[in-house]
Amino acid sequence: MNSDSSVPNPPSSVAQTIPEPTSVPQVRFKGEGGRLLLLLPSENEITTPATAWADLWQQLKQRLNGGDRFWQPNTAVYLIARDRLLDTRQLQAISEALTEAKLNLKRVYTSRRQTAVAAATGGFSVEQQSPIAHLNPETVGQAIAEPLYIETTVRSGVEIRHPGTVIVLGDVNPGSSIVADGDVLVWGALRGVAQAGASGNSRCIIMALRLDPTQIRIADFVARAPETPPQQYYPEVAYVTPDGIRIISTADFSKDRLELPES
Amino acid sequence: MSRIIVVTSGKGGVGKTTTTANLGMALAQRGHKVAVIDADFGLRNLDLLLGLENRIVYTAVEVLAGECRLDQALVRDKRQPNLALLPAAQNRTKDAVTPDQMKKLVGALTKAFHFVLIDCPAGIEMGFQNAITPAREAIVVTTPEVAAVRDADRVVGLLEANDVKRMYLVINRLKPAMVEQDMMMSVKDVQDILAIPLLGVVPDDERVVVSTNRGEPLVLGADSTSLAATAFGNIVRRLEGEKVPFLDLNPPPEDFFSRIRRFFQGRKS
Repeated sequence: MNSDSSVPNPPSSVAQTIPEPTSVPQVRFKGEGGRLLLLLPSENEITTPATAWADLWQQLKQRLNGGDRFWQPNTAVYLIARDRLLDTRQLQAISEALTEAKLNLKRVYTSRRQTAVAAATGGFSVEQQSPIAHLNPETVGQAIAEPLYIETTVRSGVEIRHPGTVIVLGDVNPGSSIVADGDVLVWGALRGVAQAGASGNSRCIIMALRLDPTQIRIADFVARAPETPPQQYYPEVAYVTPDGIRIISTADFSKDRLELPES
Repeated sequence: MSRIIVVTSGKGGVGKTTTTANLGMALAQRGHKVAVIDADFGLRNLDLLLGLENRIVYTAVEVLAGECRLDQALVRDKRQPNLALLPAAQNRTKDAVTPDQMKKLVGALTKAFHFVLIDCPAGIEMGFQNAITPAREAIVVTTPEVAAVRDADRVVGLLEANDVKRMYLVINRLKPAMVEQDMMMSVKDVQDILAIPLLGVVPDDERVVVSTNRGEPLVLGADSTSLAATAFGNIVRRLEGEKVPFLDLNPPPEDFFSRIRRFFQGRKS
């Protein structure tokens, strides 16, 4: 990089206007104060080794396909790229994908100089933030993220990770997996792998209209599908008892079970 | 506006190339100008199935290198002049071309052809990317097997992410007798998982093997009245937008009551 002139000076007030999200394992949209934020996972938060551009791109397309009912046309999108390294072409691709979904990329926030230069070269409005990740000490009793709501068929090869509850409107097919720190709710058939309470909370539950999973995990507990499939499927809930994971019909699942203290 | 359709599956050996050859031929028979492209660089087969192997002079790689013109590389079928094949190079690998080059090639073909069918290689690597990038529609071929359906599901997800939004399902090599005995996934089982519109069901037929070895697509030869050939013909008519009822592949029911029941089930759908 040879020129500094294309990079606007980082304003000092940015940190207050756009708060750094705590943890984003995957590409995610988030509404905040009437604005739509597009959060990208940070480089050092990559959980799978191959979360490269291709994966990022696929996740973005998936989110765009699965949520279009919830945003108004021409909503401004603020891209929170954090320490992600993006080149001009990739930023251009993101902008075009957003335009196609009738959203417009308003501004790019990044803590990487190269990304800021690339964004400025591409004609985007940029704000460079100083990396403040190290200023966030591990807080005790951190609040869980808001639920992730997706309307799509989760197909083979797709993994959805979220530090909160995941709600899927559609089927979760075999070969896919959902990993949530909170509950997993599937309004459809759950045929893949589902994990609730991934950070260790055994009071999380998994529910589906048709619970036919490859495997379910809640906190440290694992359950497999029975060898002989049931004759008939009905909405069910999986939860943890002292004897392991239990599955019960939704009709019999009383709400006060959620309040039961851990024994 | 010509239609660019990629025939893909994820898993190998489910019948992508057979489907491409038969659909291409059937479309040509119905008067459309059709180009079929073999995107399986290094493992080309489509020329064999169409019986055009010995007439290949240039391939797509030479066209891209500027060593020949596009129309020199196109092999026209003598039996059906509406059909042309753009062969792949056999001595190269999938990395010999880029998605952008494929797009350019297909773009040039759309000027002269109504239908461009792209025969996609198995897998989801570079060759897959090359094949799907130019496409606007996709035919996902699967057999009623768990592994094939799983791979097809993955491919559907990748197609969605790559902006190929119009997808159709072809279930190949169905054995109605086995489905009846609950030993094979049924059409409904497959549809439940993949959740894309069904374009056709092709029954398992030994004559496909014969036609493949002979280099004569099923819809062309003496077997053009077979059930599988009729199924391919119906698929083509559905591609044209016609509403064609699905073939009754089930063996005839034994008793009067099941016939009545099936009659009413048929009316509901």
